[in-house]
Amino acid sequence: MRDVQDKLRATAKDLLASGKVELVLGFEPASLPMRTRACFARTADAAERLVWNEFCSQNLAAYLPRLFEKPAHIRGDWTPPKVAVVTKNCDARSIIGLVKEHQLARENVVIIGMPCQGMVDPEKAAATVDERIAQACLECVSPSPIGADILIEGQSRPAAADRFQRVKDFEALTPAQRWDAFVKEISKCTRCYACRQACPNCYCKSCFIEQSKPSWAGAGDDLADLLLFHIGRMFHQAGRCVECDACVRACPMGIDLRLFTQKLVKDVEELFGYVPGVSLDDLPPLCTFQSDDSECFVTGPGEE
Amino acid sequence: MAFLCNWCSYAGADLAGVSRLQYPTHVRVIRVPCSGRVNPLYIVKALQLGVDGVLVSGCHPGDCHYISGNLVARRKFALLKSFLEYVGIEPGRVQFSWVSASEGNRFADLIQKVSDDIRKLGPARQLKKEAR
Amino acid sequence: MHKKAMVVGAGVAGIQAALDLAEMGVETYLVEAGPAIGGRMAQLDKTFPTNDCAMCILSPKLVEAGSHPGIHILSLSEVLSVQGAPPRLHVTILKRPRYVDESKCTGCGLCMAKCPTKVSDPYNKGLSTTKAIRIPFPQAVPALPVMDAKSCLFHLKGKCGVCKRVCPAGAIDFGQKEETIELEVGSLILACGTKEFDARLKGEYGYGIFPNVITSIEFERILSASGPTGGHVQRPSDQAVPKKIAILQCVGSRDASVGNEHCSAVCCMQASKDAIIASEHVPGLQSTIFYMDVRAYGKGFDRFVDRAQQQHGARFLCGRIASVESDPRTNDLKIQYIAQDGSVHSEMFDMLVLSVGLQSSESARETARRVGVKLDASGFIAIEATAPVDTSRAGVFVCGSVSGPKDIPESVMEASGAASAAAAVIGECEVREMHVEYPKEKDLRGESPRIGVFVCRCGINIASTVDVSGVVEYAATLPRVRHAQEMLFACAQDSQKTIRAAMEKHNLNRVVVAACTPRTHEPLFQKTLQKAGINPYMFEFANIREHCAWVHQQEPAKATQKAKDLVRGAVTKVLLAEPLYKKSLGVNKNALVIGGGLAGMTAALDLANQGFQTYLLEKTGQLGGNLRHVQTTLDGHETAGKLAELVEKVNGHPKITVCLQAKIRDIAGYVGNFKTTLDEPAMEIEHGVVVIAAGGSEYEPTEYLFGQDDRVVTQRHLEELLHAGDKVALAKLRTVAMIQCVGSRDEKHNYCSRVCCTTAIKNAIRLKELSPRTNVYVLYRDIRTYGLKERYYRRAREKGVFFVRFDPDTKPAVQSEGDGLTVRVHDAILGATLELRPDLLVLSAGIVSNPDNKTLSQFLKVPLEADGFFLEAHVKLRPVDFATDGVFVCGLSHYPKDISETIAQARAAAGRAATVLTKSSLEGEGKVACIRDGRCSGCGACVSVCAYRAIELDPKLRVAVVNEALCKGCGACAATCRACAIDLGGFRNEQMLSALGAL
Repeated sequence: MRDVQDKLRATAKDLLASGKVELVLGFEPASLPMRTRACFARTADAAERLVWNEFCSQNLAAYLPRLFEKPAHIRGDWTPPKVAVVTKNCDARSIIGLVKEHQLARENVVIIGMPCQGMVDPEKAAATVDERIAQACLECVSPSPIGADILIEGQSRPAAADRFQRVKDFEALTPAQRWDAFVKEISKCTRCYACRQACPNCYCKSCFIEQSKPSWAGAGDDLADLLLFHIGRMFHQAGRCVECDACVRACPMGIDLRLFTQKLVKDVEELFGYVPGVSLDDLPPLCTFQSDDSECFVTGPGEE
Repeated sequence: MAFLCNWCSYAGADLAGVSRLQYPTHVRVIRVPCSGRVNPLYIVKALQLGVDGVLVSGCHPGDCHYISGNLVARRKFALLKSFLEYVGIEPGRVQFSWVSASEGNRFADLIQKVSDDIRKLGPARQLKKEAR
Repeated sequence: MHKKAMVVGAGVAGIQAALDLAEMGVETYLVEAGPAIGGRMAQLDKTFPTNDCAMCILSPKLVEAGSHPGIHILSLSEVLSVQGAPPRLHVTILKRPRYVDESKCTGCGLCMAKCPTKVSDPYNKGLSTTKAIRIPFPQAVPALPVMDAKSCLFHLKGKCGVCKRVCPAGAIDFGQKEETIELEVGSLILACGTKEFDARLKGEYGYGIFPNVITSIEFERILSASGPTGGHVQRPSDQAVPKKIAILQCVGSRDASVGNEHCSAVCCMQASKDAIIASEHVPGLQSTIFYMDVRAYGKGFDRFVDRAQQQHGARFLCGRIASVESDPRTNDLKIQYIAQDGSVHSEMFDMLVLSVGLQSSESARETARRVGVKLDASGFIAIEATAPVDTSRAGVFVCGSVSGPKDIPESVMEASGAASAAAAVIGECEVREMHVEYPKEKDLRGESPRIGVFVCRCGINIASTVDVSGVVEYAATLPRVRHAQEMLFACAQDSQKTIRAAMEKHNLNRVVVAACTPRTHEPLFQKTLQKAGINPYMFEFANIREHCAWVHQQEPAKATQKAKDLVRGAVTKVLLAEPLYKKSLGVNKNALVIGGGLAGMTAALDLANQGFQTYLLEKTGQLGGNLRHVQTTLDGHETAGKLAELVEKVNGHPKITVCLQAKIRDIAGYVGNFKTTLDEPAMEIEHGVVVIAAGGSEYEPTEYLFGQDDRVVTQRHLEELLHAGDKVALAKLRTVAMIQCVGSRDEKHNYCSRVCCTTAIKNAIRLKELSPRTNVYVLYRDIRTYGLKERYYRRAREKGVFFVRFDPDTKPAVQSEGDGLTVRVHDAILGATLELRPDLLVLSAGIVSNPDNKTLSQFLKVPLEADGFFLEAHVKLRPVDFATDGVFVCGLSHYPKDISETIAQARAAAGRAATVLTKSSLEGEGKVACIRDGRCSGCGACVSVCAYRAIELDPKLRVAVVNEALCKGCGACAATCRACAIDLGGFRNEQMLSALGAL
């Protein structure tokens, strides 16, 4: 992995020194052990701070919408920066998703694709090396970087065969069991919105949950409002979620959000054959339709 | 609570009336220009407000007055219904259908069926915000 | 005088013509013999090939025609005479009595409910009963009852009069008499349609004798949800659900023995559609269609027939029914038929549907006689191939099936084309603005809401179930309600005055009416608000009739409670109402026509003749397009003269600028405001509309040795030889073979090219005329000489042309052997393989779409279908329009078609384009989408779900921008936006949630 890190630093230095990009967005060691934080390297020297290890779990795509927004104090024309981003494949897919949603132009970002061995789940950090990989990474079906502009060579972990086993198990429960489990998870929520802040897709300037006129939900911790928030936010991820696990890592209460967001991922794949963040050419599934889309959910009056 | 598109399903409901077809009184209709207007959040919100069931009905695929509004909506509703049932909302609380302007009978039958389904389930409490 | 026109016949063609004329600023009289408009389409269940519900798509047109300020509907009326010349035609109309005062009747339907006399219902083809006084069908326009004097007891015996006693509006008038009306109009359009063949005349099929033999239009009613059986498929004898039905084609069509040589053009598709729909109603139902040729010649038709066969169990059997017997006990039908190989079979069926043809009606012929226009041999109004909407009388035009059987889209195209022609004749007359003046609107800013609630009793329609007074009392207690009252008929004229007076007295600025359905009555009350100086969108409707009183008649208490809830919901919603305004948009009066073939030139000329500056772009160096390769029309006229005349007219027209060798770089903008940049010649054109007429081309065959052997040519080559080639050498040909469907109806081109059968027959006839001894073989799959073209098929057979049917899986084999060609084909009728040794093999090559279509579709943001042709907004009712306003299509860009159809469609495109260009400004919808900039991140989801391309992204500011004039107000964008940054006026999230909360 040191080898990979060296290659990354060399690449980043080259990009910055040659002026191809103004900023390399990557990871640097955080103050706590076994943690990293975002590194905004603007000079070749600063690129020395970049690290690559199994603690680089953060999805840096979440910073991009802001970086490419015209700053309020600038009047007249503004040229967006050129930014290189150090990515795992899931992060790269987030970037593709953001490009599709016009949050940045593809030509303004250089995707540096890293080989990914899976990230460590801090909760499991004490365990042995093999067992501390995060659940999401264990279930990852495409850990190798695809479609990156610059590929840092190295070994990625093998792709998982089936990532939906937990969802399938959950589907097999009775509605009442599912509801109890859902309520149990969501009741933990303290409405800190960390899940939203960590998610690269949650770039809305104003989240529906905090709007007035109309106000969709009350401001307190009423369970009904928590449920509305989470159902709403999860549904807003439909066809967009790349399963990067940012929301789960961010949640201080350890809510198993993934069990629910993955259902939407699975449905989108099964119903519309769509995998987010892979291609720039197709429209997001909820922005388009096929005349022969599934009708299986439609009620006919004569049916039982 | 039924969201009906103006051009087909609302017209189908009108025809049911013109034909004097009788159906249960519990249904309350909200007219929308197109089933595509129905924000999925409305459905969740309706349940939070204490509605016992939600029906959304639009034009049959291909008949949409706005060309493709119902087809865009169809994708949303397919996901929403599956998702709500996944988290444990009782199946039958939220239903979707297509009723055309000439299907007064279908409308009445649909209301009867949805109403029966909901009656079997009893009052909805899951998402309801209880008054404090 | 100002622009006036008249349309006779209010079926779908007449309605379209009237709407187009009115939209062009022409005041139009729509004369209909029956009590309501709609014609045959109103009786259809679904329409092929999309299976759209016919009434769903027609009824908005009915309502639009009924409420358009520029259209006067004269129902129960017929033309007696027409004198003068355009633009001064003097028309005498006879109006028959309705026995109902149209100005007083509110359409409440009480008379119909109480009338004691049951009569068979003509709308349901006599399969159910109705009353002697009745509203013809639920969606009827005008929505007024008509009294059938032939069965009314009062008229027959002078007794009864129940209707008069119960009518709360005093609208029944037994004393009404026939009256004549004199009108002066600039031009006239005949659209009187056809009638169905009377199946009794083909007694061998047992119609009228056996209960389970019915006609196709009766079957439509049985399939229809609004029909006599409520959409349950039942056979008449015992109401049993049929499991096995037979459908017989060509009953009264292609049958000289009943005087109808023509093909009725629609029945093959209608039968396929009925088979599909019946199988949807009754899963597992088997249908057998006995046919002569499957004439699936339109867009998507072949695929539709495939679907009927593959997914819906329809069996297409080429053969004729010889006899029908009905089992006297079970009423099952024993049908004996002769298959195409001559073998005789017998089979049992539950039901037989006779696909009755369309033929000219006595009344249409009589009207034609009175108007003074010529008829053809079959009794249809005579037209020429190069003038499909013109009649023999100047200023009188024709559209729809009265000039020959045709399907809805062709009728609609001709209607728009006839409207264009009719408007051009009166081009010089002044346009009268048809705006109604309203008092200045009150500024409501800062005013607190003051709501008035008006609850309608609707005679006893509502009041017999709902406690109206209770609802009024309840309404008065709701917040911000300053006034509540009940009304006998809220929609009556004097009620409007009452509402206005109450608004004035209580200073109301919001109104709720609890009555019937907003779909028909909302505009009326909105006008009342406008007259009171209040924005028409400060209004809400509570439907307590159709959605309450009528459907809960047994539960008055609950119905009353529901009515209160509905009123509360409406009050809550209106409380949050905001004034809305229709955005208007300037219109550039220039037109751009892309393509200088027959379609483009025809459209350009029509537009220029109506006074619009027109730019005609042609990518080659020459006008004429495919017409340069067609030598004669089917009816034998040389086309060269017509082409030269057209080119001369176009080149000489002061309002037409022709750009040859044109190359388009970009087309930007939207309806009324397009800007096109050309690379060649370098220029910029500003224009308000675009007509796409980019054409198509002949398929270049890769099969049957084409290009390898000189004796293999296409029909186009043959036509050139026949025209300018060595006639002596041609006459010496011993055998000529033609192969149909080359590059059509195959895997790569799964559509019918529509013109090849006719072209082959045209050329075969000419060969035979040149040299009767030449043997001409036409190898075909189905001969698709639809409509009046059938006569030429017949003529070709009379002249001795041999027709050999082959199956698609045994296509002919062509070999070059020794010094000659050999064609081997398995004759599906003889059941034997024929070997021909033709001197000339002619391939009927299909028509393929223009590869440029793709670029054009991207420029104009309009869709293409799978075969590369443009996909119109609606295949039935909007055949030249797109969802994107201001863009129109005609000619081969749209689909293969013949000269006559091309001209009709080109004129239609011009007519539709003129409805935009005649307006000084375009008015959008009032309830449109609006963006809250602070919330929008510019993700573009709304842009992609908008079917009207009304939203664009501002790339710099990264926000979406709505073009309010293009927005139709569907709200798909608002439902898609995650940040609720886009909302829909009149249905704002805030209003929707508060209504949700209140109900």
